[in-house]
Amino acid sequence: MFLINDFIALLAANLILTQALGTSTLFIAANSRRNLLRTAFVITVFTVFGSIGAYFADRLLPEKYSDLRLLIYTALIGILYVIFLSALFFISREKFEKSRKYIHISAFNCAVMGTLFTINHRAAGDSSFMNLKSYAAAGLEAGFGFILASLILTAAYRKLNSAKVPASFRGFPAMLVYLGIISMAVYTLK
Amino acid sequence: MLKKARKERLVWIDITITLLALELMAYFYYGIRSLALGGICAAVSLLTEMISLRLMHKNFTADDLMCTSDALIISLMMPSVMDYKIAVIACVFAVTAAKNIFGGRKNMIFSPAAAAYVFMLASWGKKLLLYPEPHVRTGLFDTPEKLVSSASYVYNTTGKMDYTDFEILLGNFSGAAGSASILLLIVAAVILIFRRDISAGAFIGTIFGTGFLAYIMPVSASLTAADSVKYSLVTNMVLFAAIYIISDKRIAPQREYYAFFYGLFIAVFSYIVLLTTAKENVIIIISVLFTPVALGLKNLEKKIELAYESDLSPEPESDDADGKEADSE
Amino acid sequence: MNNRKSTVFAGILGENIVLSSLMVISPVIVCGNTLKNAEALIYAFNSITFLSVFISSFVPRKIPYALKVIIYALISSIVYIPVRMAASEFFPDSITRIGIYYPLLAVNSLIVFQSEAKLFRMKRGKMTASLFFYILGFDAVMLITGFIRELFAFGTINGKIVDIDTTISGLSQPFGGFIFLGIMCGVYRKIRAAAYRNYNDKRGGADVSDK
Repeated sequence: MFLINDFIALLAANLILTQALGTSTLFIAANSRRNLLRTAFVITVFTVFGSIGAYFADRLLPEKYSDLRLLIYTALIGILYVIFLSALFFISREKFEKSRKYIHISAFNCAVMGTLFTINHRAAGDSSFMNLKSYAAAGLEAGFGFILASLILTAAYRKLNSAKVPASFRGFPAMLVYLGIISMAVYTLK
Repeated sequence: MLKKARKERLVWIDITITLLALELMAYFYYGIRSLALGGICAAVSLLTEMISLRLMHKNFTADDLMCTSDALIISLMMPSVMDYKIAVIACVFAVTAAKNIFGGRKNMIFSPAAAAYVFMLASWGKKLLLYPEPHVRTGLFDTPEKLVSSASYVYNTTGKMDYTDFEILLGNFSGAAGSASILLLIVAAVILIFRRDISAGAFIGTIFGTGFLAYIMPVSASLTAADSVKYSLVTNMVLFAAIYIISDKRIAPQREYYAFFYGLFIAVFSYIVLLTTAKENVIIIISVLFTPVALGLKNLEKKIELAYESDLSPEPESDDADGKEADSE
Repeated sequence: MNNRKSTVFAGILGENIVLSSLMVISPVIVCGNTLKNAEALIYAFNSITFLSVFISSFVPRKIPYALKVIIYALISSIVYIPVRMAASEFFPDSITRIGIYYPLLAVNSLIVFQSEAKLFRMKRGKMTASLFFYILGFDAVMLITGFIRELFAFGTINGKIVDIDTTISGLSQPFGGFIFLGIMCGVYRKIRAAAYRNYNDKRGGADVSDK
């Protein structure tokens, strides 16, 4: 029962279905089902580590310099981007060649940056949220939300790209309408 | 192929007959307005289907009449005094956005009626969930008066259902015109299952799941287990959705085994959301949310079939990992 | 086809960044529900994107790809600061209207990825003209989306009430944005196919990506 409630809560807080954050990335990754799930996984890594970094940035940055937040978050994601690419390069050249595209897609996008700003927004409204655990948990939740949205899209992938779909709507447009109807159901559930 | 086409038409006839029976019952309780609403929904859906098929360079055939039964389902889920314009918009949405954009009846993803209902709920929730009392007749163009919350709403929030079994069976309680006529719905379910027009597995899964959870976790502590099961099945459009939405063969997994679990999951999720939020008719929302599950189960069915065929044939067929091949349906 | 791609006007119809490549769609889906929001987004997007891409075009091309992407993102984050300060001075409403989507515009795909893949391969003059039309393409989509969604969701045009008695409030919500943009995308493809003959035949066989 609690699991089901948690699942519904995860759906209701899903950044793609409720705020369309990361939709472009989801569609860029959607050129194959395998890409989609791998990108979702890498994005989860970015949102978790990015959120942890964002926590320290938010704690240290005085409110009067809030205009600098984007610059700091960008630098933070840039550092993570370099670290992940370097780590992959040193672990295995073959894996680096195969997987670097997922890191390229996953670094600078609305899914990751949007997560950081959403968490910051939440912390600004609720001071009890201002701790490392909450930030990391929110980053993980956002990543899981992206994985969930990827799974939702993957399930319909074949039908949305079927030759039976009118050419004008095949692919992206059908995906948008499909996600829209799922998002509508999530909206009515809230 | 010809047999399959005939089958589709027969399914449409059977479903439409049961829906017309429900429309007649609605006429008995709410007057001509409910019939007019059903008629408008069917006409608009038919017209929209014809136009969109023309735009898709396809011919209209008797199989495409299924859109009218979807329209009747939509009209029976609304209060009989619903604004005609809203009904028109909902039907256009069902035919275009929920069906034909994805390729029409041969590539169904959502139940058009369920998607249209959720659409109405999201845009005109208050109008959709206020109903006239039974036997209060509203003229064709009159403004409805004294609208009340449904018996489902009262049951969800208080755990009370102040109606006799006889009234419940005949649908003499406030709610959507189609979902209240329980006796007729039971008859319709039996007919449609025996005629194999709906997925028996999905229907049984839904009823079993709701009944089981209602038995072990009643909405209110004051309810006996038997009453809890009875009221949980007759309220919140559970029976109606189990027949016409969840068991829709176009959406539910084809194998009864998978369909059973599909229905069961929807029922379990719906009941738990109902317990925690007291949201009315939540089963329709969950059925839309579970579309990816139905699609996932169908994909699984195809993979099993392919694996089975490759086991039988001497030369194994390659499976497409990225799903890039055209749909084989 | 190649001629079409090379034309600087492609950004408006042929390669519209929102409708063709589905870039920068989050703000369109969530904030593009009124004309006022559309105007605010247009101001932010135009100024941040134009300045960022123009400045980024001076970054040496020999730098490794990952570093270049980071530099582009950092440049746009710096450009964002004066743009936001100007907005809070002249259009204070716009910041609250767009909310978190304001900073997110600074890391949009046109700046971070598309500029490297397409724009920086052109000569600067042509690049500037192309960029102008890409931005114009976004503006056009934003205005159309804002106008139609406001009209049908709230029954108003730029805040002024018009005579519509049945509004579809769901159209103002993100899910309405998804569905509306999906339909608009399909209509756009139809128009594009009519405008560029044989283009749709090639698209029809395409799997998913527009790129």
